Amino acid sequence: MAEAFDEHAGGLAHRRHRGRWSGALVLVWALIPQVALAHEIGTTRVIATVAADRSYAIAISSDASALLGRLELAQRRPITSGTSAAEVQRAFDAVCHEVPRHVAVRFDDVASTPRATCIVDAADAAPADPFNVLGVTVRLEGVVPAGATTLRWQYGLTTTSYALLLKSSAATETIWLEGDEQSRPLALATMAAAPTRAAVARTYLGLGFTHILPKGLDHILFVLGIFLLSRRLRPMLWQISAFTLAHSITLGLALYGVIELPSRIVEPLIAASIVYVAIENLWTSELKPWRVTLVFAFGLLHGMGFAGVLRELALPRSELLTGLVAFNVGVEAGQLTVILSAFVCVGMWARQSDAYRRFVVVPASIVIAATGAFWTVQRLVA
Amino acid sequence: MRTSFISLRRSLQVATRLAGVVLVVQMVGATLLAHDMWIEPTTFTPEPGDIVGARLRVGQDFIGDPLRRDDALIDQFVVQAAAGRKPLVGRPGADPAGLLRVDAPGLMVIGYRSHPSTVEQTAEKFSQYLKDEGLETIAALRARRGETGAVRELFSRCAKSLVLSGTVQPTEGDHALGFTLELVAEKNPYTTTAGQELPVRLTYEGRPLADGLVVAINRNNPTEKLSARSDANGRVHFRLPQGGQWLIKAVHMIPAKADAQADWESFWATLTFEIR
Repeated sequence: MAEAFDEHAGGLAHRRHRGRWSGALVLVWALIPQVALAHEIGTTRVIATVAADRSYAIAISSDASALLGRLELAQRRPITSGTSAAEVQRAFDAVCHEVPRHVAVRFDDVASTPRATCIVDAADAAPADPFNVLGVTVRLEGVVPAGATTLRWQYGLTTTSYALLLKSSAATETIWLEGDEQSRPLALATMAAAPTRAAVARTYLGLGFTHILPKGLDHILFVLGIFLLSRRLRPMLWQISAFTLAHSITLGLALYGVIELPSRIVEPLIAASIVYVAIENLWTSELKPWRVTLVFAFGLLHGMGFAGVLRELALPRSELLTGLVAFNVGVEAGQLTVILSAFVCVGMWARQSDAYRRFVVVPASIVIAATGAFWTVQRLVA
Repeated sequence: MRTSFISLRRSLQVATRLAGVVLVVQMVGATLLAHDMWIEPTTFTPEPGDIVGARLRVGQDFIGDPLRRDDALIDQFVVQAAAGRKPLVGRPGADPAGLLRVDAPGLMVIGYRSHPSTVEQTAEKFSQYLKDEGLETIAALRARRGETGAVRELFSRCAKSLVLSGTVQPTEGDHALGFTLELVAEKNPYTTTAGQELPVRLTYEGRPLADGLVVAINRNNPTEKLSARSDANGRVHFRLPQGGQWLIKAVHMIPAKADAQADWESFWATLTFEIR
C-alpha cells in the first residue's frame, strides 16, 4: 500500500513534465485505491491522564520557541529569541498563564479551567547548539467533574497534526488531530470507577494511623511528652482531648482551604512544641490550666501538618468529608496506641513514683526535648 | 539639472511601484485558518566548510512548529549553488530535516517542494481562509458555481531559502528552481540593506502570476506585515523597513483536476533570507 501511494503521489507532482505519460498515469491513478495523503506532522504531543481520584493532568510537549512565540504574540510582548534554556524558561514564566486561554478542556460539554505550568526541557543546560531544538512541557491540571463520562479537547497553539493520548489505568486511546481541530468526545468510561465511600474510609483510616505509627516520630514524641507529665488519667485525658479537638479543627479548615500556613512555618513550630512539653515536664508534674491551653494551640499546629500530608494524598473531592473523618480517626487510633504502649511499658513503675520520675520522666523528657530542639533547628535551616 | 530630473523621475517610478505595498498590522488573536511553511536555516550566513541545517517550519506570523523529515512528503529537497544542484541529505524523522555542507563561498538557494496533502474544511472556515490569503477570485468562483458545502483541498509546499557564505558577489542572485509556485528575489537580498527596494517575482508554472497577494513578515516584528499585489509581470517591490530575518509568502489556488478527488488545489510559496 505504501509503495502504491508513493508512486501515485509522485505521478501527480511530475505529471506536468511528462505529458506523454499523463494519460497512462491518470489510468494508473484511477485504478489504485485512493489512500489518504501524508499529513504534516509536527513535534507536539498531548498526553491526558485521568487518575482514579478524578484529578486530570494534560501534558503538552512541544517546540519551545514556537510555543513561546505564540504566547508572546498573544500577549503583545516582544518575541524572545532566547539562546539558553534558562532564558527561555524565564520567558515562559511570564506568559505560561496565557496557555489555558487557547485550550478547551470539556467534560460532557462543561468547560474546565485548568492550572498551567510550563517547564522547559533541561532548563539548566548550557546555551544550545543551533542544531538542538529546545522542548517545553506544559502541564494542565484540574479535576474531572463528578459523573462526567467524556472528554473533548481542543488546542489552539499548534498548526500541525499531532497525537492526543488519553491514558487511564485501564487503557490508552490515541487520536490524531489537525492543528486547532476539536476532538470528538473521548470516553472516560475506561478509567477506573470512583472508589466507594467504604473504600475511601478504609484507605484513609489506614493512612491516618500509619501517619502516626510508624511514620510520625515527631507526633509520637509530642504524645509521649503529654503522657510523661503525669501518670494520673485525668491530666492526660484533658490534654489528649484538647490536642485532638484542636488538630481536627485545623485539619478540616486547612483541607477545605479556609486557612493556609506554609509548611516552612508549621514544621519548625511543631518541633518547637515538642521541646516545650518535654521541658515543662522537667519543672512540674501538675496539670496547669495554661498547659491545656498550650496543648490546644499545639494541636492546631499539628493539624495543619496533617493537612499538608492529606493534600499530597489527593483526596477525592466527592469524598472529602469521609476521608477527613477517617484520617482523623486513624490519627487518633495511632496516638492511643502510642499511649497504651507507653502505659504497658511503665506499668511496673506505677507504685514507685519517685523512681519513675527520676529514671523515666526526666531522662525521657530530656531526650525528647533535645530531639525536638534538633528538629526545630533542622527545619528552620531547611 | 538633467540628473536631478532623472532622479526625480526615478523616485516617482519607485513611489508608484511601492504605492501598492501596504503595511498591514494584524489583529492580535485572530487565528488564520491555513498555515505557511518555510525553511529556517540554522544560520543564514555560514562559513565555508560549515554544515547548515535546513529546518522546516509550519505556522503563521513566522512562528512555526517543527516539521521533521518525512520522505513521504518530499518531492524535492535541494540546494542550488554555483557548483550545481544537489539534494539535502537527512535522517528520516530528523529536525533539521535536511543538511548541507558549504563547499565553497557563495549564495545558496535551498528549496523544498512537497507532495500534496489534503485538508477538509467547513464552508465557513474555507471562506475565511480565502479572504485571509487574498484569494477573492476563488471565493467569487465558488459563489458563481453556487458552492456552499464543505471543501476538500489539496495543498503543497514550494519553500525556498537564501543562504550566503562569505562575501557577497554582485553577479550572484536567487535562482528559479522550477517549483509550481515560486517566489524569486530579483535582487540579491544580501546586497540589500533595510529600507532599500527589493523586487520579488511570483511565478506559477514558470510564468509570471499577476494579482497574487505577496506578504512580507519580519521575524522580530511579525504583526506588522507588508503586503502587495503582484503586477502584470508578477512583480512586487518591497522596501523592507528593518534588518533581520524576513519571510515572503504567496498562495495560489486552482480548481483541482478532475481526477484529484478534491475540490481545490493550492500552492504555498515562501522565501526566507536575512538582510542587514
